Amino acid sequence: MSRSDYGIVAEFASANGLLAATRAARDAGYRRLDAFAPFPLADVSVVLGHRTAVVPLIAATAAVVGGGLSYLAQYWMNAVDYPLNVGGRPLHSWPAFIPATIIVSALWLAAAAFLTMLFKCGLPRFSHPMFDVPGFERASDERFFLWVSSEDPAYEPRDVAALLQRQGAVAITRLEVTR
Amino acid sequence: MTDSRVERSATEAARIPLSPRYGRGWLAALIASVLMVLVLAYVIAELVVAGIGIWGTNIPFVWGFDLSNYVWWIGLANGCSLFAAILVLRRHSLRTAINRFAEGLALFAVICAAIFPLFHLGRPWLFYWTFPYPATFQVWPQFRSPLTWDFWAIITHLIVTTMLWYVGLLPDLATLRDRARTPVARRVFGSFALGWRSSVRHWAFHQRAYRLVAIAVIPLALVIQSTVAFEFAITLVPSWHETRLPLHYVVSGLESGLGLILLAAAALRGSLRGIDRFIDDEDMNLIGKLLLANALVACLVYAGEVASALLAGPLMVEAILNRLVGHYAGLYWGAIALSVLLPQALWSSRMRRSNPAGILIGLGVIAGIWLDRLSIIVGGMQRDYLPSTWRIYAPTQPEWALFLGSIGLFAAMFLLLMRFLPVVSMSETRHDEYREASS
Repeated sequence: MSRSDYGIVAEFASANGLLAATRAARDAGYRRLDAFAPFPLADVSVVLGHRTAVVPLIAATAAVVGGGLSYLAQYWMNAVDYPLNVGGRPLHSWPAFIPATIIVSALWLAAAAFLTMLFKCGLPRFSHPMFDVPGFERASDERFFLWVSSEDPAYEPRDVAALLQRQGAVAITRLEVTR
Repeated sequence: MTDSRVERSATEAARIPLSPRYGRGWLAALIASVLMVLVLAYVIAELVVAGIGIWGTNIPFVWGFDLSNYVWWIGLANGCSLFAAILVLRRHSLRTAINRFAEGLALFAVICAAIFPLFHLGRPWLFYWTFPYPATFQVWPQFRSPLTWDFWAIITHLIVTTMLWYVGLLPDLATLRDRARTPVARRVFGSFALGWRSSVRHWAFHQRAYRLVAIAVIPLALVIQSTVAFEFAITLVPSWHETRLPLHYVVSGLESGLGLILLAAAALRGSLRGIDRFIDDEDMNLIGKLLLANALVACLVYAGEVASALLAGPLMVEAILNRLVGHYAGLYWGAIALSVLLPQALWSSRMRRSNPAGILIGLGVIAGIWLDRLSIIVGGMQRDYLPSTWRIYAPTQPEWALFLGSIGLFAAMFLLLMRFLPVVSMSETRHDEYREASS
């Protein structure tokens, strides 16, 4: 087992500090970054270039597919595979199939949105090197963190640390993982 | 607002849900509701062993207390989840105060609602027959029957309401994990937090997913509430066989949901010290106004009920007159008094801000809608086409026990929720304070 560099993590006391540092790191040419904040920060997301439009796209597709499957399943079961004459009513009574179709599409919409979120965030993942950063438990409370990955092509520990120091980081940690 | 003030209030926000000072009142309420859950367990066991013959339902009252309680609970659930979803989508400031517990209330109400149709089946252990699975006897469910609509509605409602609540709760679970003082609490909250690391990337996807689940809830709540009404409307019972019924159920269901939210908000403010910073007077004012507006719409719907019946044939006139002045007239007028007249007190801004008034009006509205459901069901079926079957229905002891037991279950779940999970969203509170500070 050997210890290998995972990157530099800087802690900031305010959201504006994190935003400025993220911008500075992007401007300095770093691409493999992640920011951590106790609430959504749309500005930082824009700087980091997060694209989330895939979630509604997948959810909408799932809603259409789920609803379609539900309708076809009801049609096939009641009109084709097991036709049952109830008081001479038509076998393909489409209005009766609508409630379940709408309900099932809403189910697929919500489930697809939820699962896509988990997939795109790489969750569930209970163990992560970030949790080793001293004081990282406050990222879910009132502190802000910026991580520059050691896999960034421009990564040079001393330069990164100096840059983040200039941006007013209150603490800087060199993160190592055991491989 | 400076960053240090944000920090301080966020810390305060986090203390509220897990305050050690819950006191004897909370414990007494929990013991009372657990006793009611035991009654529920007993009556369900009795029901499974003896069958639904122990209920007072019989021709013409094929539906009685069970279905009326089901319709009532599902209306509460739909009202709460519809309201919560709209607040998420509108990004309304009320959301921070109300959403977390409204989503919880919706979930618990669906669980209580599911008990009634499940045990009304008679053989509840065969409930999966309504699901289209390839059975060895090669029979598919009959999808033209409302019973299968109910199956999809309840299962989906349970899953989607859970998702709405859980997606919103996820960041708060991570906060609880990070603040946990014991390894057990850390493990439990950590497992449910799924390894959330507050990454801005997580947040970006989280916000999208939360809004999408909320979008799914809106048609779902409206369709499920209408589907419940269709189950009445497709029968031949005179006062049910109407196209206006879905509107009636949506309006009164939303009103009961708002009543429940008002009741819970006022009860939380009255019992948890410090919570009125988060559920403040302005929030109570808005809920009160909404409930009042909804009560006025409900009044219009009640008037429409009488008007459309009077304009229809003599059979409909007879049916509505039976509900207004017949044996069950008390149910109808009780519903009008509690769900239309009582909320008029909310015109006064002092009443809207008062906790005791909020509790009384919330309870009154919920009880009023319960009476309305009972009036529609038993009052509607009392005069059947066949005079020889005309009789009076009264719920038996097991029916009362099932109903009270479901309320106990609901109360127990809510009391445990307010003890172990934040009743006010911590991350939304932090976010709101940051936005106020930076605007």
